[in-house]
Amino acid sequence: MNDFLAQIPIFLVFIPVVFSIIIYLFKAKWTTYLSFVSQVLLLIAFFAYLSFWRLHPGDHLLVFGGWSERIGISFFHDGLSLTFSFLAIFIFSVILMYLFKFRRKDHKFFFFFLFLEGIFLGMIQTNDLFNMFVFLELTTVLVTVLISYQKSGPSFQAGIYYLLLNTVGALFFLIGIVFLYNVFGTINIRVLQELIGTQGDRTVVKFAYVIMMSGISVKAALFPLFTWLPKAHGVAQSGISALLSGLVVKGALYVLIRMERFLFVEAGFHMNELFFWIGVVTAIVGVTFAISQKDMKQILAYHTVSQVGIMMMGISQIGLTPFYGGVLHIINHALFKSLLFLGAGILIKHYQTKKVYEIKGALKTFPIVAVMLIIAMLSISGAPLFNGFVSKSMIKYAVKGNFIKEALFFLINLGTVTSFIKFSSVLFGPKAILVKEKNPLQIISIIVLGLSCLGIGLFYQVIASSIFGITISTNLWEISHFLDYGLFLVIGFLFYRFVVKKDYLPFQKIRHFKLTFESANYMFVVYLLVVLGVVFL
Amino acid sequence: MSPILTIIVILVGLYGLATSKNIIKSVFCVTIIESGLILLFLNLGNLEGGSIPILSGLVENIVDPIPQALMITTIVIGSTITALALMLCIKIFHHFGSIEWKEVLGREE
Repeated sequence: MNDFLAQIPIFLVFIPVVFSIIIYLFKAKWTTYLSFVSQVLLLIAFFAYLSFWRLHPGDHLLVFGGWSERIGISFFHDGLSLTFSFLAIFIFSVILMYLFKFRRKDHKFFFFFLFLEGIFLGMIQTNDLFNMFVFLELTTVLVTVLISYQKSGPSFQAGIYYLLLNTVGALFFLIGIVFLYNVFGTINIRVLQELIGTQGDRTVVKFAYVIMMSGISVKAALFPLFTWLPKAHGVAQSGISALLSGLVVKGALYVLIRMERFLFVEAGFHMNELFFWIGVVTAIVGVTFAISQKDMKQILAYHTVSQVGIMMMGISQIGLTPFYGGVLHIINHALFKSLLFLGAGILIKHYQTKKVYEIKGALKTFPIVAVMLIIAMLSISGAPLFNGFVSKSMIKYAVKGNFIKEALFFLINLGTVTSFIKFSSVLFGPKAILVKEKNPLQIISIIVLGLSCLGIGLFYQVIASSIFGITISTNLWEISHFLDYGLFLVIGFLFYRFVVKKDYLPFQKIRHFKLTFESANYMFVVYLLVVLGVVFL
Repeated sequence: MSPILTIIVILVGLYGLATSKNIIKSVFCVTIIESGLILLFLNLGNLEGGSIPILSGLVENIVDPIPQALMITTIVIGSTITALALMLCIKIFHHFGSIEWKEVLGREE
């Protein structure tokens, strides 16, 4: 029995893949319902493995094919990978519920969707660098297909932009792997982790580090490499946008954590400051772009960029509290950003427009959706009692005592609040007369996301101690936090009312700013050189 | 061919990506980077005068088999990417009547 339980990581990859193939091959009416069966099986398999993992501390590694660990491909689970696996299964299930009615007869779509889930779970579990590259590339291919799924001009345009830029990133990741193999003769992450501090040619290892981190930064959408993200996430259908923003970007961040904090930690490059500042710049640039947008999905997409910056600020830190804050922010962002995209998707579908100023009266027309959107907006802007506040307070430990960093963090928060005050204008106004579609599954999916946002915000102590094994000592429900947030709201509202709404020339300039593909690649080269310079000097 | 030459191939591809204004050229530049990468890894894993890697115990001085196994996978992935990208090029040409980045990205809707 235990032998079987130890093999479960394989099933986490193969259950969705096999089901996707079954759904694609047997095009009967009922086969698409099998996608729900696959999710239930995945959840059962996950919890069975979780209990096994807890009971057998020495048995977390799974090597395929009976090779030694050094040569063979292996899967490895620690707390981080288990958390991400559960997050992936959860988000995929919720988005499946959201999309199901609309896509019921589209077998091809379920093929790509479930296949992506299997590949994503593989990327999280793998302990082999080359395997990780293969999974990264496969997610790129599948996501490209999902972005272009609408078969419209802009979606093809976003698809090719995404595909080529991310392939370049992944290829550079592979070049780094080649160098590491050349030095150490293995590409197993755990073995490399032990070797990397003591052996090998320092220069080559440093070079490999720079190339791998730059390559993965493209996929993680850090400044200045994020240009593909708003295109792709803005163009895709709402369910897919939720999946991309909520989960797929986090996959790249997960790989980044694996590289920075596990693989290269013993090498002692100490690049925390660099990545912290990259995170700050990403957050500020993302927020600036988000404020100037008028398209609902573009606003949300640029907010993904800025939130990725905030996550980077957390996970680049050595201190455990900001690091866990960053990881928790990844989870929280997955919840509230999916919720925002799904809620916005319902509004866009009914109002037939994406323009934020043309949608009015959502609170009266769609009360449940509007309430869930409010929860998500409060979460993303860091209101007390909601989950975004918990992780942001943990990340704040990284900036404590440094005036410039604190001021920048304040600015980022203010920008987020302002642009969501703008976003919230869809809620108010008279009731709109629309043809409503009944779709209970869709409503359930967004309620589940909304409640989990609230749940993490309220029971943060329990969650922090059960996932990360830490206790958050400070009380997050002090009156002063509420007052601070109220102040943010007032300043944000004034800023919105008297600056943003006037739509001055700089905002128009920023809104119409476009980076060509050549310059995006040029930026990549510059980014590579900057990281190279910082690491070697 | 020394590893330095293969790195030059990679840099040529990168230069092409940062300058070419045509989508198909960009696709080819990605392929060039990938070819450079494959050559680089095969070169690093090569052994002058080495023999084939078969576990029989009779041959000595074998070539490292892992780079070759990995690079076959990379070739497969690369061909997938190229095929998908060229398919998208066709679709883009049908929609926009052009495969210049400038005309494709400059247009809304």
